[in-house]
Amino acid sequence: MQGQNQQQAYDRGITIFSPDGRLYQVEYAREAVKRGTASVGVRTADGVVLAADRHARSPLLERDSIEKIHKADDHVGIASAGHVADARKLIDLARRQAQVEQLRYGQQIGVESLTKEVTDYIQEYTQTGGARPFGVALLLGGIEDGEPRLFETDPSGTPYEWQAVAIGGDREEIQSFLEEEYTEEMDLESGIELALEALGSVSDEGLDASGVDIATVDVESEQFTSLTEDDVAERVDEFGLEGEDDE
Amino acid sequence: MSEFTEDPYAPELGSFEDLPQNPQAGNDEDTVNKTGTTTVGIAVEDGVVIATDMRASLGGRFVSNKNVQKVEQIHPTGALTLVGSVGGAQSFIRTLRSEVDLYEARRGEDISIDALATLAGNFARGGPFMAIHPILGGVDDEGSHVYSIDPAGGVMKDDYTVTGSGMQLAYGVLEGSYEEGLSMDEASTLAARAVYAATERDTGSGNGVYLALVTDEGVDITGYDDFDDVL
Repeated sequence: MQGQNQQQAYDRGITIFSPDGRLYQVEYAREAVKRGTASVGVRTADGVVLAADRHARSPLLERDSIEKIHKADDHVGIASAGHVADARKLIDLARRQAQVEQLRYGQQIGVESLTKEVTDYIQEYTQTGGARPFGVALLLGGIEDGEPRLFETDPSGTPYEWQAVAIGGDREEIQSFLEEEYTEEMDLESGIELALEALGSVSDEGLDASGVDIATVDVESEQFTSLTEDDVAERVDEFGLEGEDDE
Repeated sequence: MSEFTEDPYAPELGSFEDLPQNPQAGNDEDTVNKTGTTTVGIAVEDGVVIATDMRASLGGRFVSNKNVQKVEQIHPTGALTLVGSVGGAQSFIRTLRSEVDLYEARRGEDISIDALATLAGNFARGGPFMAIHPILGGVDDEGSHVYSIDPAGGVMKDDYTVTGSGMQLAYGVLEGSYEEGLSMDEASTLAARAVYAATERDTGSGNGVYLALVTDEGVDITGYDDFDDVL
């Protein structure tokens, strides 16, 4: 930390504020999130939709090994953007905290409580010496007291609640698209359509069904449900979102 | 970095295990205050009635206090009885109160009575042997609930329940007179009658009755030296 160039010291250690009150390492971690492919969350009247771009960089890569959407508990799903390895650590925390709630109180954890468990943990990595912040953002979607809830976590450890939100690469563009197209009255199927369109809105080649992961948690079943590739392909086709050149 | 996952069986603040442990504590019949006790809980449509006697004793042979309030509010709409070791029961109540307050402060809503019963069961089981057998009664969105929490952490829900040294006597009254659909007033009289029967024949119970009326409005606790005021 006592480098020859004193002026740079505050962007080396995360526990140091810059003179204008910024934490550079946390901001760099946000850049790491932008380097990841996008994930989208949409809250509708009858459930939450999580969708993630998981296109493979090589045709030889097994698609299923790209993890973007995870089940945290029966009633909560988590989508990530940014460092996958960092995401896995936080998702394991979320899964364990969901079970702690069952052991401690004998009840399902609320989506808001679960989000705050995760963000409180992320925050410690912005203040503890010798550590680096998490280079990942998460979307937690689920049902709490019969109501759909959708939250975002960022590398600073701040929780946000959204109606519809994008994280990762092209976030601003996708968010603008969501702001244009989102309506509160949407049903789950329209939510899936909006999420797919939002991911497709930043792609010139259209959507490839095998490169998109979708999961829902609906109010009726309160269960995390992952759509199969065929289900996704059917909808990509139905909504006319597929690429025109190779299909 | 903090622990990755908290121990679900331990209190979040303070620790039962870290308390200085006197090897004699809990076993010394002559110096540790026991409640003896008869505590009765009845859940009805409009709320919960809890009745407790007012005697503390030493070694089962000496009345060490004749004016003990053995039911305490631990939740905006919930109360717990003190049964067994007075020290163990008071510590248990302090811990549960802080957990209830912390839960509400963090989440903006009160813990349900069912979740509170599970938590209390975990504490009874996970900590040292506290020699207590309380009743938890409360009202939440799901309705009125009465639980008994035994010293090994067993949590049992019922329409009415009794714990303490006078329990057989009180149950005798309840089994003869309990019926479904009681009003709060009828349940209060019945609970007081059950405690009265126990105070007449159980040496660990006596000296009057405390009544706690728990509704969705809150908890109202009143003591009566004379059973004639409530029977």
